[in-house]
Amino acid sequence: MKVRIKFSKHGVLKYVGHLDFMRYFQKAFRRTDIDVVYSKGFSPHMIISFAQPLGVGVESDGEYFDVEVNDNENVDLFVQKLNEQMAEGVEVLEAIVLPEKAENAMASVAAAAYEIEFYKDAPLTEKLIKQFIDSPTVEYVKKTKTGERTINIKDFVFDIRYLSMRCMYICVDASSGGNLKPATLCDALLKLDNKNIEDYPFHVTRKDTYKRNENSELVPLNKF
Amino acid sequence: MNQKLALPEDVLMSIEKPERYIGHEINAVFKDKDKIDIRFAMCFPDVYEIGMSHLGIQILYDMFNKFEDTWCERVYSPWVDLDKIMREKNLSLFTWESQDPVREMDFLGITLQYEMCYTNILQILDLSNIPLIATERTWEDPIVIGGGPCSYNPEPIADFFDIFYIGEGETRYRELLDIYKESRKNNESREDFLYKAAKIPGMYVPRFYEPVYNEDFTLKEFRRLKDDIPATIVKELVTDLDETYYPEKPIVPYMKVTQDRVVLEIMRGCIRGCRFCQAGQIYKPVRERSIEFLKQRAETLLKNTGHEEISLSSLSSSDYSHIEELVNFLIEDCTKKKVNIALPSLRIDQFSVDVMEKVQDIKKSSLTFAPEAGSQRMRDIINKGLTEEDIINGAVLAFKGGWTKVKLYFMLGLPFEEEEDIEGIAKLCNNIAAAFYEAIPKEKRVNGKVSITASTSFFIPKPFTPFQWAKMNTKEDFIDKAEHTKHYIMSQLNQKVIRYIWHEADVSMLEGVMARGDRRLSKVILMAYKKGCIYDAWSEYYKHDVWLECFEECGIDPFFYTTRERKDDELFPWDFLDCGVSKAHLLREWKKAQAAIVTDNCKKRCVGCGTAKFDCGLCINR
Repeated sequence: MKVRIKFSKHGVLKYVGHLDFMRYFQKAFRRTDIDVVYSKGFSPHMIISFAQPLGVGVESDGEYFDVEVNDNENVDLFVQKLNEQMAEGVEVLEAIVLPEKAENAMASVAAAAYEIEFYKDAPLTEKLIKQFIDSPTVEYVKKTKTGERTINIKDFVFDIRYLSMRCMYICVDASSGGNLKPATLCDALLKLDNKNIEDYPFHVTRKDTYKRNENSELVPLNKF
Repeated sequence: MNQKLALPEDVLMSIEKPERYIGHEINAVFKDKDKIDIRFAMCFPDVYEIGMSHLGIQILYDMFNKFEDTWCERVYSPWVDLDKIMREKNLSLFTWESQDPVREMDFLGITLQYEMCYTNILQILDLSNIPLIATERTWEDPIVIGGGPCSYNPEPIADFFDIFYIGEGETRYRELLDIYKESRKNNESREDFLYKAAKIPGMYVPRFYEPVYNEDFTLKEFRRLKDDIPATIVKELVTDLDETYYPEKPIVPYMKVTQDRVVLEIMRGCIRGCRFCQAGQIYKPVRERSIEFLKQRAETLLKNTGHEEISLSSLSSSDYSHIEELVNFLIEDCTKKKVNIALPSLRIDQFSVDVMEKVQDIKKSSLTFAPEAGSQRMRDIINKGLTEEDIINGAVLAFKGGWTKVKLYFMLGLPFEEEEDIEGIAKLCNNIAAAFYEAIPKEKRVNGKVSITASTSFFIPKPFTPFQWAKMNTKEDFIDKAEHTKHYIMSQLNQKVIRYIWHEADVSMLEGVMARGDRRLSKVILMAYKKGCIYDAWSEYYKHDVWLECFEECGIDPFFYTTRERKDDELFPWDFLDCGVSKAHLLREWKKAQAAIVTDNCKKRCVGCGTAKFDCGLCINR
């Protein structure tokens, strides 16, 4: 059966990159007695798939991955068993058995919410956020491998809220086709105020990762 | 959550692989620093992913942290990108656990695994704001202590160390720490403490000894400056490997490090007396861990780390008495746990071919042979107890088992080498290819053909080997010999299936200088460091021209150390150390090499090398 795990990642582990973090979880499983299903062949590996890579330097309250385990496993014990093996800063929050026909974590990701905190200078105002919301289009020149492309940032932003002069909440497209990096939005937003993002370092915390339900509403990846 | 990092966020986000510097790995040890007396920083002077792969440090880390009054932490070299930023921003080097400045520690232990790390030692000291020269340090600085294979000739770096620990670390540290505590409690001077330390077996305190040179700069005398310290320092060693420290919970890094696996040290020492090999001499006598100990540790270590691979560590695993039982146990146990087994340093015979078939993907993997020399005459000179027949038989076994890829390691520039020995490398490769076509009928050839990779490195004479008297080749000789090897390979019948690779010669020359160097080299190393040399072991950062410039400016001829002919009775800079194997034995072996006479291995017959005085291991359990 397939199990979806939700976890949070804070502290110094935010510097551990995505691939190494996957290996970290594989080793953690090996330290438990959880019977994970392996692929066949000469170098069998665990069948684990992460929903959305988390960038280096980003913390999170809502990360997900799917793992296939033996049908006899008691999933209720997973949270405790895994937390006994976690490094400080990582906490397993929930483990649920995936419904039969559920899409895998990676394919179902539609959006992600973030909290942005500018830790040096405070560039945010309510007026600036309102200006962003009221503008029908906010153009942004994206540099790609082949050249430059102008996009309308607003197509990829589902929610943006002012929290303080240092802090805002955003919910943006995180699907494989339209993923918007929080840094891109911050850059576009500060440009409206003629500010350079380089002068305003910020922390990013992913609050949760979402899929669309049958009514096309955004719901966390562990809600069925 | 109370996680401290020494480096600020903007620095971490601007460098390559910030996870190198964050510590807090699984099984890292944290202690309350108010409740301990001694803080020990254990350093591997290279980048994290290399240093983190070293078993010796894991063993000592475990030992120190079992001492209730001591907290052992780790230190590695910042990579070149961070090195630059730390100098610009004046950031000091820190330990990986507490992230506190290294300078606050009581001890800084530095492992000396290869000569080319010497400038990195100065980088570590410099970034920690510790004076580079040992005699300029005060109690504001840690005691800097070196250990590991290169401490068997510590003289080139003698000026930078307060103490060298000669031999295996498990035996004398407790004593040293106790004396340290006592000295600090009684407000004794640093000099007084070091004087006491110099009387502990295995401890070499360079400031209390002084080399006296002849006019030609060979050593005339190695003088003691205090009467009651030993004139000869005998190496320390563990006599019973089952009754000593071995970590049950090694640190599991987040990064993929070079040795991303459980490493099981099955024995120390080597029964074989290959005349070029330093490890084979300095770790004698052979001492094995018991099969019960190893089976139990294999299970515990896999359970406590979650690693997906296990590997055996020793100088020659096939010589371990219970190798078949151990490997069969691991295969059964690891298959259940979906753990891979890596089996380096196994001799190719029926047993190892059967085993490899079970643990490797034959299509992808290659089999490795280390004949070291191409001709039988040269293999006899180096005392490599391996005949062409052994190699061909092993290869045929492997070919019949389905392997088609073979790797062969050779050395160029060995003593008494002649043109036929170089040509022998090519001929041996050709004969192996021919053996494939003869042994495997056309319809059974998996990939259609065999593929042979021959790789040569340049021989560097090392202290405490029979070849310590040997002349080393020049860079020009080496390159010339590599060209010849290539030419001979190209003229073989099966040349199309043989690939040839060779190592660079510049770094070999410097390694040769340092290996048999004396105390006069300290100033060259210091100058090279000040002119920007670090990470000399990494060819992309090795600055040969700068090194040559430093030799010139210091008035030291590097060829004095490499290509010079040494007399039988020359006093060597490392002769005040005693690794167990006597100089008389080494000289006998040097003479036998000249006559191409082989010497039996320790299991066959005791040849009286001198290590019997340690009264342990194979020397008593024959």
